[in-house]
Amino acid sequence: MTNVSVTVNGQSREADVEPRTLLVYFLRETLGLTGTNVGCDTSTCGSCTVLVDGESVKSCTMLAAQADGRDVTTIEAMAHGDTMHPIQDAFHRNHGLQCGYCTPGMVMAAASYLQENPTPTEEDVREALEGNLCRCTGYQNIVKSILDAAGSMSGAPETTRA
Amino acid sequence: MLREGAMSVDYLAPADMAAALEMRGAGGTVLAGGTDLFPQHVGRPMTQPVIDIGGVQELRDIVDTPDAYRFGALARWADVADTDLPSCFDGLRAAAREVGSVQVQNSGTIGGNLCNASPAADGIPPLLSLDASVELTSTVGTRVLRLDEFLTGYRATALRPDELLTAVLVPRGPDGARSSFRKLGLRGYLVISVVMVAAVVAASSDGRITDVRLAVGACSPVAQRLPSLEAELVDRRIDDFDAAVIARHLGALTPIDDVRATAAYRFEAASVLVHRALQACGSER
Repeated sequence: MTNVSVTVNGQSREADVEPRTLLVYFLRETLGLTGTNVGCDTSTCGSCTVLVDGESVKSCTMLAAQADGRDVTTIEAMAHGDTMHPIQDAFHRNHGLQCGYCTPGMVMAAASYLQENPTPTEEDVREALEGNLCRCTGYQNIVKSILDAAGSMSGAPETTRA
Repeated sequence: MLREGAMSVDYLAPADMAAALEMRGAGGTVLAGGTDLFPQHVGRPMTQPVIDIGGVQELRDIVDTPDAYRFGALARWADVADTDLPSCFDGLRAAAREVGSVQVQNSGTIGGNLCNASPAADGIPPLLSLDASVELTSTVGTRVLRLDEFLTGYRATALRPDELLTAVLVPRGPDGARSSFRKLGLRGYLVISVVMVAAVVAASSDGRITDVRLAVGACSPVAQRLPSLEAELVDRRIDDFDAAVIARHLGALTPIDDVRATAAYRFEAASVLVHRALQACGSER
């Protein structure tokens, strides 16, 4: 077993895990944070996207042990109580989800990207989402949601951002 | 199997280079960004200890030294894309933005891309066109190999089982050289290349080519330079030459028929992409 100590959504979490445990299973099964989904398990679909030290990575392509000492943010950290994060709110208002499976990954990829570029064009958003697949092919509304979120977030105070 | 991930073996995390070389000497699979390693081992457990070199900080930097640009093996594609480099690196930086997706670029490393040695590795043609070498280090010492000597075949390299690829070295190119990268995939994003071409071109003030290097990927087990075409293009005007000459120099390519394209299509596409890559070096002056 390997001891890992990771800051997850602002809280220090420590556990002994099998060395082979992927970060996504550490989040889902050890910590019970099941908002992060596993789609393809081969670094393709992006549904397991989380932020590690603020950057988007696919948590099926990283060991929990590799996250030792680092800062991980998952979809569970986005809403504050009953108040949705502006990106979640925009997905809700713009019908940015159908089956919802890809949504946590989409939201996290968007959160990371909007930090980098708070005023993206539609083309920018499509490019930023290249690593996130929507099996329902709901891309139109996903892109619309993220552009909408960018608009509402650019006027929002810093604390409500990802 | 899925829930347990890729491995059922020891996980080693050396904190510095000396420890990493010791562990590698004792035997083990190297884990850098993991973007190739994990997908390759879904359902195929690894049999050797895994040496995660991610904690070896000195392998992360991209440094401008007097002789060469030195890319630490753990420089990620996102780092390559975001680093301010001379124009001869434009092709490499463009390739960095085409590797996988944003998430993959945030994890995948330049050294891992070379050690994985896929015929369709996006990083290889630009590095071949830059005359790159690789630095290989073990507890016994360090050696430097030209990239084309390092890549020995389909997913095969000259890396010894006790060595780590520690850096990619790119010599200073001709002053003011331009470079470009063109990748053809079956869709715009997140795609394995059908053909890709990297070009580095230096030209005189009157637009005549003085130095040109071209590399084609995904058309042979190892990406390769086109020396006879390079020789033929010297002294020609970059904005005005007969593109038909390109197809006559692609004989060394051995593209295959596969799910992505036929060999004939790849030949045709290689010819077109070489022309476009050259045009890009001209128009981006």
